[in-house]
Amino acid sequence: MRRVYLDHNASTPVHPEVLAAMMPYFSERFGNASSIHGFGREAREGIDVARETIAHFLGVTPDEIVFTSGGTESDNLAVKGVAGARPGGHIISTVVEHHALLRTCQALEKSGHSVTYLPVDGDGLVDPDDVRRAIRPDTVLISIQTANSETGTLMPIQEIGRIAAERSIPFHCDGVQTFGKLPITPRETGITLMSMSAHKIYGPKGIGALYIAKGTRMVSVQHGGDHERRRRAGTEHVPGIVGFGKAVELRTRYMAEEAVRVTGLRDRLWEGVRRSVADVRLNGHPTRRLPGTLNMSFRGIEAESIILGLDLKGIGTSAGSACTSGSLEPSYVITAMGIPVDWALGAVRTSLGASTTVEDIDYVLDILSPLVQKIRAMSPAGAV
Amino acid sequence: MYSETLLDHFRTPRNVGMMRSPDAVGESEDPSCGDLARFYLRIEGDLVREARFQTYGCGPSIAASSVATELVRDRPVGALLGELTPEAVETALGGLPEDRRHAATMVVDALRGALRHYRTGGSRETSHA
Repeated sequence: MRRVYLDHNASTPVHPEVLAAMMPYFSERFGNASSIHGFGREAREGIDVARETIAHFLGVTPDEIVFTSGGTESDNLAVKGVAGARPGGHIISTVVEHHALLRTCQALEKSGHSVTYLPVDGDGLVDPDDVRRAIRPDTVLISIQTANSETGTLMPIQEIGRIAAERSIPFHCDGVQTFGKLPITPRETGITLMSMSAHKIYGPKGIGALYIAKGTRMVSVQHGGDHERRRRAGTEHVPGIVGFGKAVELRTRYMAEEAVRVTGLRDRLWEGVRRSVADVRLNGHPTRRLPGTLNMSFRGIEAESIILGLDLKGIGTSAGSACTSGSLEPSYVITAMGIPVDWALGAVRTSLGASTTVEDIDYVLDILSPLVQKIRAMSPAGAV
Repeated sequence: MYSETLLDHFRTPRNVGMMRSPDAVGESEDPSCGDLARFYLRIEGDLVREARFQTYGCGPSIAASSVATELVRDRPVGALLGELTPEAVETALGGLPEDRRHAATMVVDALRGALRHYRTGGSRETSHA
């Protein structure tokens, strides 16, 4: 059976060149990068090269890059690190952030911080004027994603970056979904901290980074040795870091061309679905979106049944909602956009990537229309 | 995650669709989850001769509906009222993940509603799982 992977926002396969770059660091170059002997220095060199590659890609200096275990840890370090240095301060974020961010903010609310969660419009965009209005004298951090992982909607971070800079408030971006897919340079954008992850861009899982602009005052979240300029204690995951660096190097080569190609495929998929399926809508901004992300709602269908139906044909997609323990919660992202529940329950996310071909898209289109008809035919009249 | 039997019933559901002038109809919805199942029964004497379903829900809810229509066929109404349990549907499906057990409960509620409806000769029953 043909297999089509349309879940690149969840994870991506490790590029063969990335794997090849990593392999020596599991065996012959196994040293602890903190050791002063030759074994340690070999490992240190691997880290240094990766750090320089990532810094160069972002247009920042290597000492502004801190390696972490991934996007979640980067978000935790950014928000807890900045807020921790300013006890009781106020944070501005949005209702559509990743759980890594939302739950970190919720934890901070319990320890004396206050958080404003800004709403989004029907396309999933936060209004920069809302950000401006939410600023208080005690605001210590603005944290807003560069793009939403479910809908792909790109946030107006240029405008928000300007507002943050005018008021000298640190601006953190969860940049996991855009990093390596779109050219976002923190300095030009007014970003103070940016979370990144390797496994969304054909690197390994378990490794990420946080960009921290020089001079940003923050506390450590994880205590121990003096690793990562005391920003993040713990022996470095050298093979992961080397793989991350290689993945970023490859993005330099492929990113621009791939963005155009994947956008074309994404739009081909949407046009095809719109032509062949009734009662379908696009969730997210029609154009201001990640190249590969297409989130669609099929009215009168519960997303799980369509995802399972596609899975049985070898197609991997995902939903923000899950029917678990008898409580079906439509995706909080889709709901926050004001999309009615009968549509929200049928929201399916497809995210395309490097491996996606025209044949893949046409195969999905061949499967999708009859599948939707079949599931709808099973449904009792008046359901939802 | 799902058994082969469950996937088979999801892929090729048995006895799906409505029935003209059924002898009994039962419906159940899981308000917390939004799933809805409706069963139509043709009953001769005291035997269920045919069951059909329409279900809105996740894969397990559709598969549980399908397998249940086979469980009740050619069985006496009285016996089914005693024996038809969520556990029986789950077993017939080859198991359900913990967080999908509601599918079996909803389906059994709807079918039992239809059976009671037949017994009492009353109107359609809707229950909430």
